[in-house]
Amino acid sequence: MGGRESDLVLLDENGIRCDGRRVDETRKISIKAGVLKNANGSAYIEFGDNKILAGVFGPRDVHPKHMADTDTGILRCRYHMSPFSVGERKNPAPSRREIEIGKVIKEALRPAVMLEKFPRTAVDVFVEVLQADGGTRCAALDAASVALADAGIPMRDMVSACAAGKVADTIILDVNNEEDQAGQADMPMGYMPNLKKITLLQLDGVLTPDEFKKCVETGIEGCKLVYEIQKQALKDKFFANGGE
Amino acid sequence: MTSTSILDQLKRNKIHDLLEKGERFDGRRLDEPRPLTIETGIIPKADGSARVRLGDTEVVTGVKIQPDKPFPDMGDKGIFICTAEILPLAHPTAEPGPPGEDVIELARVVDRGIRESGMIDLSQLVLQKDKSVIGIFADNSVTDHDGNLFDACAYASTAAILSCKIPKWEMKDDVPTLVEGQKSSPPITTIPVSITMARIGDHIIVDPNADEWACMDARITITTNSNGSICALQKGGDDGFTVEQLFKCSELAISIGAKIRKQIEQARG
Amino acid sequence: MADSKRRYVIPGDVITTGPYRPEQNVILEDKKIIATTVGISEIYDDTVKVIPLTGMYIPKSQDLVIGKIVSHSSLSWEADINSCYVGMLPASDVFGRNFQPDTDELTSKLKKGDLIAARIVNFDRSRDPLITIADRDLGKIDSGELVKIAPSKVPRLIGKHGTMIQVIEMATNATITIGQNGLVVVACDNPDGLLKAKKAIQMVDEQAHMANLTDKVKEMLESNSE
Repeated sequence: MGGRESDLVLLDENGIRCDGRRVDETRKISIKAGVLKNANGSAYIEFGDNKILAGVFGPRDVHPKHMADTDTGILRCRYHMSPFSVGERKNPAPSRREIEIGKVIKEALRPAVMLEKFPRTAVDVFVEVLQADGGTRCAALDAASVALADAGIPMRDMVSACAAGKVADTIILDVNNEEDQAGQADMPMGYMPNLKKITLLQLDGVLTPDEFKKCVETGIEGCKLVYEIQKQALKDKFFANGGE
Repeated sequence: MTSTSILDQLKRNKIHDLLEKGERFDGRRLDEPRPLTIETGIIPKADGSARVRLGDTEVVTGVKIQPDKPFPDMGDKGIFICTAEILPLAHPTAEPGPPGEDVIELARVVDRGIRESGMIDLSQLVLQKDKSVIGIFADNSVTDHDGNLFDACAYASTAAILSCKIPKWEMKDDVPTLVEGQKSSPPITTIPVSITMARIGDHIIVDPNADEWACMDARITITTNSNGSICALQKGGDDGFTVEQLFKCSELAISIGAKIRKQIEQARG
Repeated sequence: MADSKRRYVIPGDVITTGPYRPEQNVILEDKKIIATTVGISEIYDDTVKVIPLTGMYIPKSQDLVIGKIVSHSSLSWEADINSCYVGMLPASDVFGRNFQPDTDELTSKLKKGDLIAARIVNFDRSRDPLITIADRDLGKIDSGELVKIAPSKVPRLIGKHGTMIQVIEMATNATITIGQNGLVVVACDNPDGLLKAKKAIQMVDEQAHMANLTDKVKEMLESNSE
């Protein structure tokens, strides 16, 4: 992380990034809700070249039983990358990075899901990265939120996620893989758009206090853009045939 | 997972009753597999990939190719390794964690079907004898489980391998170095096709779905190659087959295998 | 459905602000009434609720449900009632008050895989729901096929005053038992009638929120194709 030497021009004199985007532009995003037959809820997202599948089961019985909470349901989240999802084949066994990301995604979703209504149960969120290209945890969180809504898990709000960052001393929206490797900062963010709360925030890199503020504001704008796409995915599945 | 959710007794009875009349619950003939769709190249960053839908069972397979050290006594052959994972999002009873015996059997059977057929000519994948060879990894991720993962994973792996592109490496000072922009097709000698059959009472059915899997007495997976020869076999389940039933299964594996082989070849792209 | 007070919503959508009482699937936060599931919001007099278009069945006292026996102890059976909570059927419900755990064998009455029509006796979220099959219209289901629909579509399958289910039963001669938990048993002597009834039920599951559904189902049932 942080300003490695490369031939890549991260930001040219016209404000165009290495993949042709402007500084405030996200990559192409598409989300489809309800793509699996067995899962209670599911979603598939393509975020740039990221391809990620999310499935939700629950509320359901907790095993082992000692993990259950008598007062509330629990949320569990597993983030996993398929061996073929990255440049050099990855060992199928979960790595420490994947386990940390699973936890961070769980904690981003927890404020949104209303599990107090389901004591002694668990809601399980499973996210599988089929192809990775920078910003997988945000894309995974976006798909997970849609999958939870698809499953009918009661939620106070959706959670929308997008990263902001810094390359060539400029704050940018939605950091891709090259920008993550060779740029100066990468800040993934998860945001509840109606309650206006940030529930996922991490930083890789160095930002001055002013840059940090700008980065957060930029990230929030990105999250709001993603929120519209999440809404559309649910509309397409549930409201498309509507007589209204 | 050894069993899917418990099948209700009425459905179990209906499945048996229908079989007596030569019918199946979803309307298929006894020797009819479910609708099969194969798409290749769905994971562009991988060296090869495929998504297979066999009825409601879905598998995504990626092929990764990279230089590797050969196995100790096989310095003149490349490496082929096949893995499988039933993703926890594929079924309510699929648990995350180290693979159980069902998943291990699945991976090994799919691997053997492809390896024993000699599908990939591993002798063409040597960069430097005894030092450096090309390794082909086929990793199957089951995303939706409705029975017969053996065939779904086998078709996805085969399609992904057929459509993969092998990068070119040159040995420079004993180190394999990538040559950009030059890719070749894999050295394929034959196309293996597996057919899984279940025995329910005296009836043999092809491509059991999850409900039929839950009622079956025994199952067998038979893999044939392009010549119609049998190159791999795996019998499973808590009961057995008579010799007549076994020979019937082998005939079905050859005839239906031929039809599916055509479909896999078309998906090559 | 031309009521302007109904709207499609997703979790987090603000339905309205003001002096309304929040009912099912909404919460009151900061004077705003917010939807908590994907569904159709309804403002009725002074209350607001959301009719969910997805989501699991939550047991309610007195609900009729279809259950599947999945296990038993020496004192009770456990039934899968298509919910996150498992239904408990005490042995005394079937054997009577003189039930003897040593001699009365539970599997002689009900075993794994059997389907039952049961009623929820009581349910509070601290314990699994208690169910009973001790009533005339309840008990082990001996014939028919189990069909699954989304629990949120059950009211539509029944219809206003039972109109939808009557249309289907009369056109096909099928006997249909609808569980509030989204499990439906269809029994019919005539295989064509069975197929048509299943098709009609599937149609309601897929198009529950569309207008004129009863007419469309009638049309489908009356057409002679297959």
